[in-house]
Amino acid sequence: MLKLTRAALIALGLCAAAALSPGFAADAPAPSASAPAVPAAIAAAPAQEAASGVAAPAAAPESPASAAAASEPAPTGSLDDRVQQTKADVIRLNRDLLVLEEELLFPANTQVAVFVSMDVGLLFDLDSVQVKLDDKVVTTYLYTPLEVQALHRGGVQRVYLGDLKAGPHEIVAFFTGKGPHDRDYKRATTIKFDKSTEPKYIELQIKDVQQKLQPEFDVKVWQ
Amino acid sequence: MRLRSRLLPRPCLVAALVAGVLAAAGARAADDPNKLPADPPRHPVVDPHYGDVLFEFYQGRYFPAITKLEVSQHFDRMQHHADEAEILRGGLLLSYGLHKQAAEVFEALLARGAPPSVRDRAWYFLAKIRYQRGLMPDASAALGRIEHVLPEPLEDDRRLLQANVAMALGDNDTASKILAPIAGPRGTDLYARYNLGVAMIRSGDVAHGTNVLDELGRQTMPDEESRALRDKANVALGFAAMKAGQPVAARDYLQRVRLQGLQANAALLGFGWAADAVGNPKQALVPWLELAGRDPSDPSVLEAQLAVPYAYAELHADAQALQRYENAIANFENEDANIDATVAAIRAGKLVEGLMNRNPGEEMGWFQTFRDLPLMPHARLLTPVIAGNEFQEAFKNYRDLQFLTHNLNDWHDNLGVFGDMLATRRQAFAERLPRVRAQQQARGLGLDQLTRRSEANAADLKQAEDAADGVAFADANERALQQRLARVTDTLSGLPADADPGLADARERLRRVAGALAWQLAHEYPARAWSARKGQKQTEDALASARQHDADLARAQQEEPAHFEDFARRIAELDARLNVLLPRVAALSQEQQGALQEIAITELKAQKERLAAYTAQARYAVAQLYDRATEPKEEGSHVDKP
Repeated sequence: MLKLTRAALIALGLCAAAALSPGFAADAPAPSASAPAVPAAIAAAPAQEAASGVAAPAAAPESPASAAAASEPAPTGSLDDRVQQTKADVIRLNRDLLVLEEELLFPANTQVAVFVSMDVGLLFDLDSVQVKLDDKVVTTYLYTPLEVQALHRGGVQRVYLGDLKAGPHEIVAFFTGKGPHDRDYKRATTIKFDKSTEPKYIELQIKDVQQKLQPEFDVKVWQ
Repeated sequence: MRLRSRLLPRPCLVAALVAGVLAAAGARAADDPNKLPADPPRHPVVDPHYGDVLFEFYQGRYFPAITKLEVSQHFDRMQHHADEAEILRGGLLLSYGLHKQAAEVFEALLARGAPPSVRDRAWYFLAKIRYQRGLMPDASAALGRIEHVLPEPLEDDRRLLQANVAMALGDNDTASKILAPIAGPRGTDLYARYNLGVAMIRSGDVAHGTNVLDELGRQTMPDEESRALRDKANVALGFAAMKAGQPVAARDYLQRVRLQGLQANAALLGFGWAADAVGNPKQALVPWLELAGRDPSDPSVLEAQLAVPYAYAELHADAQALQRYENAIANFENEDANIDATVAAIRAGKLVEGLMNRNPGEEMGWFQTFRDLPLMPHARLLTPVIAGNEFQEAFKNYRDLQFLTHNLNDWHDNLGVFGDMLATRRQAFAERLPRVRAQQQARGLGLDQLTRRSEANAADLKQAEDAADGVAFADANERALQQRLARVTDTLSGLPADADPGLADARERLRRVAGALAWQLAHEYPARAWSARKGQKQTEDALASARQHDADLARAQQEEPAHFEDFARRIAELDARLNVLLPRVAALSQEQQGALQEIAITELKAQKERLAAYTAQARYAVAQLYDRATEPKEEGSHVDKP
């Protein structure tokens, strides 16, 4: 009379199957979402919007509608495929928008970018940086622990992006934080440079000088 | 409630990527496949813009990282890190699930003959992509192209990937061989050891596989993640022993599992069955009673609610068995109603809304994990659904789409500002130069007027110098003095010679003063002439510079409108692309939400079917118990096992 019923088999089968699956879960194949087919009304909406949303401004020399339609064709395939394709389109659009923004707001002939980097940085725990260009404060930046960690690992932060006319200029940077023996530390570094019609990149470097057991602050002009 | 859907958390992938990007290479022998490839020595970040990308990347801000990376590639600002930047871009695209685009990046790197270490990493990532897409033979081929040891921890991942590919191809023997060196008896890579044990059991080497898992199942673990893996190994061993008809061994394995872990319910259920299988239903009751009181969203708990009365019936405690069966039926019906309410809430959109509210994320990407269940009726029913890979992937897509919607809306606003800025700049440019020129002309300060004045001054100067005329350089006082002397001379010459006895003396004084003035002018002449020449030169230089600026302005006035037009065209084009993408993202969000809801509802329907089956079983068992109560007593009669 004693028999193993379906429920017991389910329990054994399910659990055993789950237990014997490989544990390298992060590399498990990502199954595509089993989504239903796109309802016609929803599927039609983007096309209609696309058609109505690309009217060219009067100033535009050529209609952007065709360019837009050509560069962003509506993706086809499964929902997952279409989502991934759309992500790729948005990333590409972001790149083009950022390029436009930089060329419009910070053209190469006036562009100046200020970076902050850290070489080791064990002797200085960075709190903030203030940058003055030609005696005018252009940025003050307070750092989070995560940002400091990113600098320690080799990241270089673009702390300021702006415009300067050609000619001689002066940059002064103030660093505040904790120095050796956990003492409050504030140091400044300065350099004079000539801005040409090429972009100018300036790197504010925080270095450890082991011989002196002191941090050192330096400015490097790239171009 | 905190959930973990994956044993190996996603950040491990990020760490692997970081290691891949920043792999340091020392002295290496290219001919030895166990050594790292001989690349040119790596240098620290040379291009600050590449460092800026890493700055974002190290903070987990992957979207700004990839967009900044592509922008800097556009401006060609990362020449010293071109290959590393491409590897990073491919890895970031892969992390966003953009397999096709990531594969294109890695294939392009391989095609252009990247250095060996870059090539090896490209093959590794390509293999990973193919594995994730289920293309196992292709993944295996890509792994076979890796010529050297990859930098840690990528190398461990490569071996695990290779073993997984081999297992997926049914080649468990090869998987065992790959894993054996890293899995060791007390190897640090727990996942490798677990997979090795599984691979061995699957390939038929049950004894060795069991040993590997048993070793893992006894080990003291330092953290929750590894303890969960130990539980999993013990549950695997326990159920494998049950299937092999070894309930005593199964009981030993299963009682090592922690009572509060993810595997606890399965272990409690299995332990009860093992006890029952050795004819000890009383011992089986202990874990089943504990399990039956737990959260009924787990099928093991529902099963335990049937198993408890079954054990009572086995112990001939029919009254308690009957009571427990009736309780179970009531619980199942109550649970069924709860599922209906949950399905209704899901259809009303409360699941996705609740998940978004409880799990906000500022970033796009699959490294995000759920932390909290939504606030909605009987949310606990959704725990297994939400923990499932299919739901996690779908929700990741949904959250990415929400992120993209915000991103596109922000750009939509910004583009409007860019358009206004361009219009203002264009208008200012068109109006300002003609206005300034007109004003200068009206004040006699036009370039032509100034040029004429300068030329006249130059002619006067030349004439004065030719004549060595010191008078021409007299200052205002000297000019006034000259005029006074002229007036006095006129007055004296108009008087009769004998008009006054002092006239002769006055004439003599006039002569001496005029002489002194002439001497002073002659004396000052060289310095004054030099100063005048210098001033004239400066004026002419300034005029030349002004003429150059004027020419530049004239040229800019011709060329700049074309630039403005170009910007306007690009703004319009980008705006059009935005307008295409915004509704597409909105429609996909809606569709993705529907898909998410369907995944949850499908799972809940399966739970309903399970409940119906359990209810039927319970009712059948109740009927059996009633039959047994009304029939004459027989030795050994009992109800069916649930």
